[in-house]
Amino acid sequence: MKYWYETIAVARRILTELGRRKRSLLFWAVFPIAVLLLNGLIFAERSKTALPDPLTLGQALERAAPATLVGAALFFSCLGGSVATVVSEREHHTLKRLFLSPLSGVSYFLGIGLAHSAIAIGQTLLIGMTAVALGARFQGSIGLAAIVICLSILAYVGVGFILGTQLARRTEDVNTLVAAFGVPLLILGGAFVPAFIFPKVLLDLAQYNPIFHMNEALTKIVAEGNELAEIGFHFWFLVGFAGLMLLAGWLSYRRMLQVERRL
Amino acid sequence: MLKIEHLSKTYGQRRVLQDLSLSVGAGEIYGLLGPNGAGKTTTINILCNLLQADRGQIGINGQPVSAKTKCLIGVAPQETLIYRHLTCAENLRFFANLYGLTGRGQRERVEACLAAVDLADRAASVAETLSGGMQRRLSLAIALVHQPKLLILDEPTTGLDLEARFAMWELIHQLQRDGITILLTTHLLDEAERLCDRIGMLKQGQLLAEGSMAELRQLIPAQEIVLIQTPAEDAAIARAAALNFPQRRYGRDLAFWLPQPMELKAILTQFEGIPLDSVSRQPVRLEHIYLEVMQRSP
Repeated sequence: MKYWYETIAVARRILTELGRRKRSLLFWAVFPIAVLLLNGLIFAERSKTALPDPLTLGQALERAAPATLVGAALFFSCLGGSVATVVSEREHHTLKRLFLSPLSGVSYFLGIGLAHSAIAIGQTLLIGMTAVALGARFQGSIGLAAIVICLSILAYVGVGFILGTQLARRTEDVNTLVAAFGVPLLILGGAFVPAFIFPKVLLDLAQYNPIFHMNEALTKIVAEGNELAEIGFHFWFLVGFAGLMLLAGWLSYRRMLQVERRL
Repeated sequence: MLKIEHLSKTYGQRRVLQDLSLSVGAGEIYGLLGPNGAGKTTTINILCNLLQADRGQIGINGQPVSAKTKCLIGVAPQETLIYRHLTCAENLRFFANLYGLTGRGQRERVEACLAAVDLADRAASVAETLSGGMQRRLSLAIALVHQPKLLILDEPTTGLDLEARFAMWELIHQLQRDGITILLTTHLLDEAERLCDRIGMLKQGQLLAEGSMAELRQLIPAQEIVLIQTPAEDAAIARAAALNFPQRRYGRDLAFWLPQPMELKAILTQFEGIPLDSVSRQPVRLEHIYLEVMQRSP
């Protein structure tokens, strides 16, 4: 029960703070919708020249929604959000106050994950409902899609902990980290530009990019109705990556505690 | 309530704490004084189980320091560590949750703590909108939310204006009246003198002197201190030496220790023939004792 109470307390605190900054909350909503619409329009337009049967806007959104969700929305909310939370605690020294309390490291880790998962679920619903409202009809297994989304969230939170505890000390550092690591990975993952237009060399390189696998796995499930067997490589790559990042994130967090655990 | 025995801590080659022993009785306010680097914060870190001592033992309410004793201790750190985007009540509720307080018990503690620090009417105010003094009081309320047995106040009034400082002093006295044991570190000697039942003076990790103000006054052979401004300082110093009045300098002030209290007229008589611009008598204060203790030690 101790872990449960603590995890909920940490998550509630993060969400309360976010709720208080209403502008940020609004931007968290605007960003994925804007990317979804842009991606959808790009897909729809490109299909007119690339495919014998052009896609309707609804069909284009079916393909744009997964890329928008795992490739853009979750990246900024779960990875960027986790980094920002940890960095803010370090910058304002509230982490020291937490060290004085009986809060366990596990609860803190889970609390941050839970808070950003809540934001991610909100974004998932927003993107899904917007796409459906504009004519998209998703297919495939909802459970499998949910697992892919959860794995993506875990992977992003893990990476967020690694970056937040090891590479970023101030809020300004978050921008440079996102610019240096995030944007190239997002582009190469097909979040902003559909992967099918990549040249072969980029497509080969994308095989090493976890965002590409998140994107491909979810797209193939919800837009093409693929089952686990058909997306096996993407799925298991993602399982391995999420596990590795969670472990690395946890170890990074433990290391930060050892270094900074004093007044 | 708190018993520290033979505590030692070394960082590399640097000995931060050297065989430190002290005890604080239940309901007592104990002031730990010392210059920067004396080992005050290291002691607090060890008390709070954030650092491991190399040697020595600490008992808090009879229990050795561990994760479990965190619930016995409340700490108001020198920095105001609060969540600035949360309201006062939300800050307290968050920390109450971490200490396992829920439901009605939590609501009552939050209300009681806000009332104790005189922030009941600001419960719904976002912390960043409070003044510096109020934020410091909120930080103290967070330290109290789980009803600690031992409260550690690290420089509780540093950076506060005079009015806020007086309010904080009154609050600390009230907490003592409520039965809380308090360990206080401060650089402000008048604060320690005003608040503390007993005082320990720490330098380079060693406790040089300890006791109540009455006990500490025995450390210097003076009943009173006289400050003299004169254009003929050498003559005044020579006269004082002849009278067996030890001489000291406090900053630029020339001071003499009087072995017994003397009326102003008697002091003027003793320095007759030496031109005096001003003479002022002072009781022996903690600052005089502190300087003496610090300067005596190598």
